[in-house]
Amino acid sequence: MRVVVADDAVILREGLARLLGEAGFEVVGLAGDADELCTLVEHTHPDVAIVDIRMPPTHTDEGLQAAKRIRERWPQVGILVLSQYVQARYAVELLTQGTERVGYLLKDRVSDLGELSLSVRRIGEGASVLDPMVVAQLVGQRRKGDTPLEDLTERELEVLALMAEGRSNKAIAERLFITEHTVEKHVKSIFATLRLPQSGDDHRRVLAVVTFLNAA
Amino acid sequence: MRRDVVIALFAVVAGVGAVLLVLASDRERSPVGVSAAVALVVGWAYIGSGLIARRQRPQNRLGVVMVFIGFAWFATFLADAGSSLVFTVGKALESIYLLGFVYLVLSFPTGRLRGTFERALITSGVVLVTVVELAWLLFADSRSQICSRCPENAFEVTRNDSVATGLLQGQRTVGVVLSILTVALLVHRWRRASAPERRVGAPVLWAGSAMFAALAFSVANDIFDHPLGEGPAWTRELMFASIPIAVLAVLLQRRLARGAVAGLVVELGEGATSISLREALARALRDPSLELAYWVPASGRYVDADGAPLELPQAGRDRAATVVERDGEPVAALIHDPALAENDELVQSVCAAAGLTLENARLQAELRARLAELQASRARLVSATESERRRIERDLHDGTQQRLVSIAMALGLAESKLAADRPAVEPVLREARDALTVALAELRELTQGIRPAILVERGLAAALDDLARRAVLPVQLDVAVSGRLPEQVESAAYFVASEALANAAKHSHASDVRLSASQEKGVLSLEVSDDGIGGATAGGGSGLRGLADRVEALGGRLTVSSPPGRGTRLRAEIPCA
Repeated sequence: MRVVVADDAVILREGLARLLGEAGFEVVGLAGDADELCTLVEHTHPDVAIVDIRMPPTHTDEGLQAAKRIRERWPQVGILVLSQYVQARYAVELLTQGTERVGYLLKDRVSDLGELSLSVRRIGEGASVLDPMVVAQLVGQRRKGDTPLEDLTERELEVLALMAEGRSNKAIAERLFITEHTVEKHVKSIFATLRLPQSGDDHRRVLAVVTFLNAA
Repeated sequence: MRRDVVIALFAVVAGVGAVLLVLASDRERSPVGVSAAVALVVGWAYIGSGLIARRQRPQNRLGVVMVFIGFAWFATFLADAGSSLVFTVGKALESIYLLGFVYLVLSFPTGRLRGTFERALITSGVVLVTVVELAWLLFADSRSQICSRCPENAFEVTRNDSVATGLLQGQRTVGVVLSILTVALLVHRWRRASAPERRVGAPVLWAGSAMFAALAFSVANDIFDHPLGEGPAWTRELMFASIPIAVLAVLLQRRLARGAVAGLVVELGEGATSISLREALARALRDPSLELAYWVPASGRYVDADGAPLELPQAGRDRAATVVERDGEPVAALIHDPALAENDELVQSVCAAAGLTLENARLQAELRARLAELQASRARLVSATESERRRIERDLHDGTQQRLVSIAMALGLAESKLAADRPAVEPVLREARDALTVALAELRELTQGIRPAILVERGLAAALDDLARRAVLPVQLDVAVSGRLPEQVESAAYFVASEALANAAKHSHASDVRLSASQEKGVLSLEVSDDGIGGATAGGGSGLRGLADRVEALGGRLTVSSPPGRGTRLRAEIPCA
């Protein structure tokens, strides 16, 4: 799988490239800012672009804007946005633009090479990946006052969070040490309780859940 | 006073004498009634105006000059007498009053001649109406030179018609030239005068010019033996009579201005603010353009009423400055029209009347200047603190955090490559990695407290939205702020909202919290209100005190209204233009 990395900090850029190379990815280019990244994507057409949010010149959210631009112009290129901080709103913005080939993770996650390469691979294959911290933020926001979340069981909440992270039923089953069939049962019950339209498609499911959680 | 009465009595006697001489004369061209009335009106107008002027402005010579003109005018009617000596004396004094008149017009309004040209004009006039006049009388035969029915010339030494005629025509010609020069001088003065100078001088300048033009015209007519016929002399004389009225009008105007000083004292007694002080002084001095400058000894310069530094005008034509002193120290300066400088007496009395109030206003202006200085230094402090925060946040974000991540990465890599003796090393590596993860999380918390990432990346509206979403209590949000505001304003507003929401969650027992922000006319207004138990205060050790300092240093205001049992409303207004 071919990837490019954009980060203005050399130490991270090089480190990530090495790490991904180690994990069997082909790193086809490195970029130090948003413009460089777009040029790079245009020329190399990678499977996934890994992008830091804050980059020169303003050090605000150029990486995120570049990610949106890339998804518009080259929709077949997967995007993994990395950041020192995660904001639920950025996840929502990314997902509303399209639920395929997109991911948003805290930078800390790079320490677990297994998880990182799994995430990159899944994005390259078309899935969406959200950091558990984003999901926690979303659930935290939604848990104030009188919400249907109160009516979910502990286990159902766990399943909901894993769904929001973009995991498949199979992955959820593995994570929670239960059968896929039980996961399906939980999912059905969650959708009924939250009055969400049923969807077999994993991507749409993520959007539905995230949209629900983000609703004020 | 006594002297004035005596002068007035003399004026009555002289006037009555002149009227009797005119009535008894058989040499008058106009109807004698009209001539007598005109004689009386002109003479009394000058003497009366002169006496009033002298009482109002004792230092000004114009009053004396006008009294002189009045008596000199009456003296000309001696020429109507039947007695040869009296007739001849009257003839000799015939033009003296014109000398006084020239002096009056040229020295108006100060009573002092300004330059050598004016002095030369007057001197020439004196020679013309005394020396030349007497020389003429020595040779003039009364019947042929003056009039057929006039008495003998008592001063005649030897009759010489050609010398007498030559002297007379020469005197007339020079008289015409002097009159024209006077008119030219007056017109020149008018053109150079500033607006207030014109306001003061207009009636006298114009009436004087008209008078001298008419004089030049009629003397020229005499020189060429009346080609235009003989016009009625009384029209010119009535114009002549209007001059003292005009002079008096100007002097009375100044008296009104001095009356304004009394009004000023009353007004100031009622407690004038610095704005109304300026207006009161402008009214008293009749100069709407008046500005006040206050002396600040500490910085050795002048400031305006708001404490902003001000330069006094240099000596020039545009503006003039009069410095008001108390005990030898400058208190303030009046910046005014240069025309006022001619009425120094009025300016000084106004300054004296306003002295104490000016001193008070000076102290206020000094205070404002210091406040402005303080405000500026506080703003500099906040700005410095803010850029320090930004630097720390950037250093942590770009340095420490990145480095920690890269260490975590290296550990992860090592872990994944570990083959031999895996069971022994793996837990150690994992432990190190976990410790790093905790360190990263703590660091994140820390930097968020310095400057929240969302504020850095997206600005106030997004940050407030984020704050509301993460708040413990449900928050109703109403934010109408678009675009980015100055960093310090964004930070201050964010932390005010954050502190207010935290307080509401901790102390208010509220069920409903509203957070609103709007931007209007360059002011950001932020309000957090709840329906809780109230009773919150901004003072003491609460975090609100520090926030209030921060808001105030940006020129804003933080107000807390929290009546017990009726909720808490916290409002911050911060200029953000």
